Amino acid sequence: MKKALSFVLAAVMALSLVACGSKGGDTGTTDSKDPVTIQVAALESAYGADVWKEVTDAFTAQTGIKVDLICDKNLEDVIGASMQGGEYPDVVHLATGREAGLTEQFIKDKNLTDLTDVLSMTVPGESKKVSEKIAGGFTETSLTNPYGDGKTYLSPMFYSPCGLFYNAGLFEEKGWTVPTTWDEMWELGDKAKAEGIALFTYPTTGYFDAFLYALMYSVGGAEFFDKATHYTDGVWDTPEAKTCFDIIAKLATYTNSITPAQANDNDFTQNQQLVLDNKALFMPNGTWIVGEMADAPRADGFKWGMTALPAVEKGGDSYSYTWFEQAWVPSGAAHVDEAKQFVAFLYSDKACEIFANAKNAEGQATPAVQPVLGVSKDLTGDNQMFYSIYDNGAKAAMGNFASYTAVAGLGTVREVFLDPVNSLVNGTLTEDQWIANIKTASAQMLANIQG
Amino acid sequence: MKNHKGYGRFVILCLTPAVVLFFIFMILPTLNVFRMSLFQRGAYSPTETFVGLDNFKALFQDASFIRSMQNTILLIVVVTLITFALALLFAGILTREKLRGQNFFRVVFYIPNILSVVVIAGIFSAIYKPENGLFNSILSLFAGHTVQVLWKDAPMVMTSLIIAMIWQAIGYYMVMYMASMSSVPQSLYESANLDGAGRIAQFFKITLPLIWTNIRTTLTFFIISTINMAFLFVKAMTSGGPNGASEVALSYMYGQKDAGLYGYSMAIGVMIFLFSFLLSAAVNKVTKREPLEF
Repeated sequence: MKKALSFVLAAVMALSLVACGSKGGDTGTTDSKDPVTIQVAALESAYGADVWKEVTDAFTAQTGIKVDLICDKNLEDVIGASMQGGEYPDVVHLATGREAGLTEQFIKDKNLTDLTDVLSMTVPGESKKVSEKIAGGFTETSLTNPYGDGKTYLSPMFYSPCGLFYNAGLFEEKGWTVPTTWDEMWELGDKAKAEGIALFTYPTTGYFDAFLYALMYSVGGAEFFDKATHYTDGVWDTPEAKTCFDIIAKLATYTNSITPAQANDNDFTQNQQLVLDNKALFMPNGTWIVGEMADAPRADGFKWGMTALPAVEKGGDSYSYTWFEQAWVPSGAAHVDEAKQFVAFLYSDKACEIFANAKNAEGQATPAVQPVLGVSKDLTGDNQMFYSIYDNGAKAAMGNFASYTAVAGLGTVREVFLDPVNSLVNGTLTEDQWIANIKTASAQMLANIQG
Repeated sequence: MKNHKGYGRFVILCLTPAVVLFFIFMILPTLNVFRMSLFQRGAYSPTETFVGLDNFKALFQDASFIRSMQNTILLIVVVTLITFALALLFAGILTREKLRGQNFFRVVFYIPNILSVVVIAGIFSAIYKPENGLFNSILSLFAGHTVQVLWKDAPMVMTSLIIAMIWQAIGYYMVMYMASMSSVPQSLYESANLDGAGRIAQFFKITLPLIWTNIRTTLTFFIISTINMAFLFVKAMTSGGPNGASEVALSYMYGQKDAGLYGYSMAIGVMIFLFSFLLSAAVNKVTKREPLEF
């Protein structure tokens, strides 16, 4: 009886193995006979899914390489399981900074294909090289070259200037001017307070990354930014760091007090609504905000405005952080050469045009702007104003905190640097405690830094 | 004899699919959790390093983990106590008393249980809204001035989760208690009446002892479901915020996986498994009584 049972069990398990294995065998045979099919996994973001369908079709028409496209709002959930099983898409378009942190994990585990040679490849269907098309600076940041060895592992995609968004209509109505220094900012804050309007709000603490990077640039320039983002010993004791901490801590006292209660993934649009309702003046955000809040009710005479971060002192530099997404090739990808061609094609005139004409699911125009020279000139409406921020005196800030090997109990950059802002606003944490925690964590991050 | 053998084979054949599926999808993954908790690896990385019990050592020095466990225990204790008391009370009233609209109440209490947690989170998002939310509006009405309690901010956020979880759970346990209460013979209550026992005495002397087996089962349910439901509520209502104040054990485990610490998050999984297992065993042991027959 026992023997029979174990025999049956063994037989069933063997059968299930055969069934699983045969699938792999099939794909193996089709590979050798049919023209190559690459798998592209792209996040369906505010720019909609149609652009990816069009771009992959255009790529197939140009090169004859077929594309199996996966496009989803929760891309991590769709491709995550099969990647854990060892099956990787050939190209992934998914930025860092997402909650699931999938791209960060690939960076930390060094599971990316080196894309440096893509830069010297000719764009399919054109005569120019990729490096001649990508705008300056985009392939020199830690977001594209995570290990600081001059090699590009992630390809820059859709960029968007970030800054402080406000109701330009309200400023006209009250006769206020947009502050250019932090001192003017605090003055305005007191004036607004007298009228029952808070100076500041933020959707979630995650939006402070672009804010903090631009702030670090405007306080100490590129040199301080590099030291800070590489957790250099003693950097948090410098006067520059102190200025950054003081500004954020002071800003916390000027923040609409209901902000932390709504600063989560479910209620963050209610914080954005505070600006639309004239209950807060400024919030850090990106150009996608216009499409995101398109259907929300708003105060009479509401008009979107966007400004770079104020300078620290009169005549100082003001910075706007350039947020951009990334496309990359997992090192486990089966068709690396074809994948690189696809990445190169993303910078072709054809692809840029398709991306710039993107529409979201509601049919509103949400242009996805490739970091290619000359693309932003053709924009219209609010977006023209947003993308011209660098023409109007603001400097571009790029880069991010250096990647470090994950350590149990250490926490992510967001948990250490940004999430405590909620506690600064609701008063459960003092500035000194916040700085002390950052110093402890930063030392550990330095010890585990990659590259 | 021959017939008996054929019967045995038939039983084996019928049981095999279930046993195999159970083994592949339940036993194997559970064993794998224990194995992976001893390794250091990322979720998508093919490489893993054996680190022994290092993950567990790190756990006990991780203040965020300790806070998430404290929150979990707080939820288990408070949600269980209040839900248990209210569900028993409502079940007692709805089975023993003659109320107008009894069926209406049964349905109303049970409705939260059939709603998905995401829907409940949406409902409570409106209830807890700082400006013109339901709770703050009612409070303002009685206070005579505008009250702005920040339900999802640091000091109140756990209370807000507790209220939502109790609201969701009461109906389910009420129905369980009602089912066993209605099987208690009417004659017992009649004779108690003749002896002069009041309604409260009847509840504690007759109803409670006779549904004790049922209560013990539900206590285990309380522990397991509170741990699981807390994850859903936290994910859907607060995302663990502000600044980790409402993080519970399972949501912390999930977050560690996303931070690239797959082995570490499996170690948290092992801790939660052992914790719920031991707590259920302890509760079972403490509440053991001689079963009473009608």
